[in-house]
Amino acid sequence: MIETMLSSPLFGLAISCLAWWAGLWIQKKTGLLLCNPLVVATALIILFLTVFHIPHADYDRGGALISLFLGPATAVLALNIYRQRQLLKAHFLPVLAGCLAGCLTSVGSVLLLCRLMAVEPEIAASLLPKSVTTAIAVAIADSGGGIRSIAATAVIAAGLTGALFSPLFARLFRVTDPIAQGVGIGASSHALGTSRALEIGPLQGAMSSVSLCVCGILTSVLALFL
Amino acid sequence: MPILGEIAIILGLCLLCEGLAALLPFPFPASVLSLLLLLALLLTGVLKERHIGRVCDFFTRNMAIFFVPACVGLIEHWETLSRVLLPFLIISLLTTPLVYAVTAWTVQLLLGRGRDKEEKP
Repeated sequence: MIETMLSSPLFGLAISCLAWWAGLWIQKKTGLLLCNPLVVATALIILFLTVFHIPHADYDRGGALISLFLGPATAVLALNIYRQRQLLKAHFLPVLAGCLAGCLTSVGSVLLLCRLMAVEPEIAASLLPKSVTTAIAVAIADSGGGIRSIAATAVIAAGLTGALFSPLFARLFRVTDPIAQGVGIGASSHALGTSRALEIGPLQGAMSSVSLCVCGILTSVLALFL
Repeated sequence: MPILGEIAIILGLCLLCEGLAALLPFPFPASVLSLLLLLALLLTGVLKERHIGRVCDFFTRNMAIFFVPACVGLIEHWETLSRVLLPFLIISLLTTPLVYAVTAWTVQLLLGRGRDKEEKP
């Protein structure tokens, strides 16, 4: 009976939703920054799979169905941008300049740090596109001779850092303007950071959506020259 | 618009963009393409907010849960990752705030200038 249950895609779906629910509850109870529902849900699922020796492939039959909706979840950000179109039109150039600066900083700083630490070229190629959304990052890593799984992990790490700490970054770097906050989140931590930006405010969410698009496009173009 | 109509529009649009992305001569993610197409349809008035509003709000309010399987997938990459863990952590933890700071400062600086000009005359 257990085997039948584990082989059903419903298993992955059900424990993902359950773990997410638990994550929401724990965040409400503790109010701690590190008790982000995404972190808690991920940790709970990994713990569950490890303790009961359930193969990741069993979980991923349902998990893949959830990941499938990353596409539509990104597409619908268009409505958030649309709702802020007046503000975006008024401040288009600063937003664009910020995205360009962010892209160059991301690629430049990764290259520099990799050289300083004498990281193998294939690892460097995998880390290069870490600030952009997974689909773009994997394509860029592929064309540069990188390793897909490292690229995807680096993207998630950058996204989680942004999702967890972006309010802290804003205070630390004295970024008070909501437009600047949003563009910064999108440029440094793509759609995962944007999910947090939407919680901070609609303007931050919209600007983060714009910036994740623009930075994705700019980084793909930039990667052609590396 | 019935809710299933809204879902059909969004899924159909994403499916179309998967096809379009395969036609492009360079690698480009279908998700970003569908964002751009949906934005274009909204801006030109082909689609109205009432056609897709409820589905969009559902996805944006619950966006982070769609990343859970990708994060759980990290356990599969653990072996490759553990070989380069130290440089990986240093680069991840250092560059993300750096990119945030440079981007946000650039925007804030340029916005400030624009606003000064607006206030002067």
